[in-house]
Amino acid sequence: MAVENGGTDDALLSKPTDTEYAVLNRTPSAYNPLPTFDLPVGERRHYQQQYADMYFARLAQLKPAAEQIASEAWSDFEIAGETPRRVDRVLDVRQGDLCWVIGTCYMEMPLKPNVLDDIGKEHWIAAPPPRVKYTDDENDQIMLEDESGRLRLTGGMLKETILVTGAIIAVIGTENKDGEFEVLDIRVPDLPRQPPRWERDDGDAAVKGKKVSRSRPKGGKVAIVSALGISGDAGDTLPLDLLMEWLLGESTGPEDQQDAATVSRLIIAGNSLSHASPIPTRQELAHAATKKGPRKYGYDSSTWNAAPTDRLDTWLAMLLPSIPITLLPGESDPTATSLPQQPIHPAMFPHSRTYMELPGTKEVSWFDSTTNPAEFDLDGWRFLGTGGQPLDDVYKYVSGEERLEMMEAMLRWRLTAPTAPDTLWCYPFQDGDAFVMRECPHVYFVGNQPKFETTVIEGPVGQIVRLVAVPKFKDTGELVLIDMETLSAEVIKIEIFEGG
Amino acid sequence: MLYEFHRKQNAKKAGTVHATYLITGTRRVEAAPSQTNGVHSRDGEDTVMQSSPVLPSSSMPRPEEAAEEPSFIRSIMLVKEEHLDQAKRALDTVASIHVYSLEANSLSDIQALTECNRKVATSYSSEDPLQAWKQYGTIQNPNARRRTRRGPPPPPAPVAKDADVKTKPLVPTTTSKKESDTTADSKPPSAKQTPEPDKKGSTKPAQTKRQSSDIFKSFAKGKTKAKQESQSSAEATPAPEPEDEPMGGFSEDDAGDDATAAQEDETKVQAGPSKKDRAAELQAMMDQEDEPMEDAPTPAEESQDAETAIDKPDSQKDEESKETVTVENGRRRGRRRVMKKKTVKDEEGYLVTREEPAWESFSEDEPAPKKIKVPPASSTNAGSKASVGKKGGKPGQGNIMSFFGKK
Repeated sequence: MAVENGGTDDALLSKPTDTEYAVLNRTPSAYNPLPTFDLPVGERRHYQQQYADMYFARLAQLKPAAEQIASEAWSDFEIAGETPRRVDRVLDVRQGDLCWVIGTCYMEMPLKPNVLDDIGKEHWIAAPPPRVKYTDDENDQIMLEDESGRLRLTGGMLKETILVTGAIIAVIGTENKDGEFEVLDIRVPDLPRQPPRWERDDGDAAVKGKKVSRSRPKGGKVAIVSALGISGDAGDTLPLDLLMEWLLGESTGPEDQQDAATVSRLIIAGNSLSHASPIPTRQELAHAATKKGPRKYGYDSSTWNAAPTDRLDTWLAMLLPSIPITLLPGESDPTATSLPQQPIHPAMFPHSRTYMELPGTKEVSWFDSTTNPAEFDLDGWRFLGTGGQPLDDVYKYVSGEERLEMMEAMLRWRLTAPTAPDTLWCYPFQDGDAFVMRECPHVYFVGNQPKFETTVIEGPVGQIVRLVAVPKFKDTGELVLIDMETLSAEVIKIEIFEGG
Repeated sequence: MLYEFHRKQNAKKAGTVHATYLITGTRRVEAAPSQTNGVHSRDGEDTVMQSSPVLPSSSMPRPEEAAEEPSFIRSIMLVKEEHLDQAKRALDTVASIHVYSLEANSLSDIQALTECNRKVATSYSSEDPLQAWKQYGTIQNPNARRRTRRGPPPPPAPVAKDADVKTKPLVPTTTSKKESDTTADSKPPSAKQTPEPDKKGSTKPAQTKRQSSDIFKSFAKGKTKAKQESQSSAEATPAPEPEDEPMGGFSEDDAGDDATAAQEDETKVQAGPSKKDRAAELQAMMDQEDEPMEDAPTPAEESQDAETAIDKPDSQKDEESKETVTVENGRRRGRRRVMKKKTVKDEEGYLVTREEPAWESFSEDEPAPKKIKVPPASSTNAGSKASVGKKGGKPGQGNIMSFFGKK
């Protein structure tokens, strides 16, 4: 019943009729989360280990893949009659010798946040505003590092490639007389193996002895929204209400309602609350230091404002009877600030808690408060998503503006958070870096981005990944709908028309 | 319906009713931003994005290659009456128009519409969404999994909840004040009150008795006094009817306390024979001391009085017949037997210190030792989660508490 513009209102606005409308049923969603980013609980979580182990583990995990790609590419590489040879350790590079080596990239940037500077600056009240980019073309250096040592890299090739600290790369070139390695070409591990659709669910069924059904129900759509930004004070939650009404099928016309009924799941990708991070920012600390009056040490309970969490909780509780929700925490959410952020505790959601399963049961919750980053299977497709912190950090390292390219780079490096632990707080993994992607997702979404962007990339063995940058709902009012059958993305924009 | 009303009222007298519309439609959006990005950022070193491949294996379509097709976005807009035409022009196709709300004058602050949703949420919080919402036309989901609540659902107003929490015995006098405060607050959450009245009646005497014993716990010499007071208050329980209401306010927490109270009730019932035994024992003890006491009647009398005083409340309160420990909300409470030193002036005027067993109540604010299992019936949902969290989160609490000694 869509009317072309210019038609009269009467076609749309009319008296209520007596026709009985059938109650719509929502498309079911097949959901299977992966525990990739779950940290051990309680006493088994240790913080005593060094972060260097993480780098070594990462290198060990990705070296075979990088080696394979590099040897394929460079086995018949010839310059001036010389063929390159593989060098095992970074320090074994000889001058004038054409060789290739694999290591971790390290960017030496004086403008990067430095722990020693931070300690020195703590005595100053005024904090400098955080930098947008750490790049400084004159003073930046790029190095290649592995267990044996570091090697400085130069060459025009470097400027054309996205590189961040922590990326595992294979470089070919030779050492020049300055002792620097001149790079001729760079290779990265590239996309890992992509599981076919429904592989994990079929696998589980086979293990349990159930018959693996060939026919799966048609998937609906999944809605991804990010940065709801609920703060208790500002009166700007009307778009949230509109969103809720649309998702529930309460508002809009019958066609839109039927469309809304195909949305089988809602994913909230980070930053649902706008000021709930447990660590106060520099500004807040400075403000507290200048406050007169009796100093309250430790936690000051008079400053607690229950309104934002209450609002979020009631909003979720109104949606949950109708649609399952997956909630990823973000930078400003009440959970740990170091990656991988653990799920927001059920204690924050007194109303929505009934839709969460008790800890210890193997059942998947209807309301899944999950980690950030998160990996899960939805309708057979593998999803990998973050709340935006890794991408924002990579953005600071690179002088370009294209976030989709950075997302692609992160996938090709096989690292969900390449800059951790350098400039991104993270847990010191001991046995293996959890941020190394073992399997290629079908959909890679990142929340909290300034605008909506999407594209499709391809891998060397035929992998196809849909990249989605989800915009902030608080600023743009947009949410992304991904169709589960075609994996195409579209945007729905909810706004309040201000006239003019 | 709203549309009809709006039309009729405005037909009678123009401008009386103002409508806010919800319009849905599609809009064309050009992919311009990526283009301008491609043009502008060609300066200097910034060739990362445009001219050469980012990574040798990159397969992303370059902005120049990407077709210039405009993409459509679906738009849901809330529009005031006066902007309706403008909004319709902004959209390429209009899928539906509904009257979202009606008001007498144009809305000055459109965010006030969130109030409607909030009021609905609070006034209909007692409805079960999975059953009741079918009539509202929301999209049903037969797969929704919800587990049953173990405790009462939280009240809609967070204010009441804050006041209800924490009946710390350390703040004895203020607890009574808080009771009266929360009377007003705890009345609104009606849904919560319904399961409470049944429990209230049966545990009333035990609760008040327990409460007053907590109140006087902080008195150092309170043992004797406490016993006397508790005895008198136990008798006076039927009298203070107004006390019932304030009790309800604590019901959420006292759900755990009920277990202790119930237990105390039980032990009281069993008391019969042991009460007599103890009375006999004490009598025998007192008979022994009769001789030396003749010389120093005064101190002897005092001690005798004290002992008899102990006797009665001791017989009354036979929770002490056995050591009880209950765990709720991460606190260990109960009665136990400790050796207490009593200094008594002897017949020759000497101060003699004797060690006697005595009962006292204790409350330790520490996670329960692992071998004690929290009985699921006695703790609310929040309680179990809190205790689990506490156990995991404060493993060193036992060490700190040992500094303060057992209270």
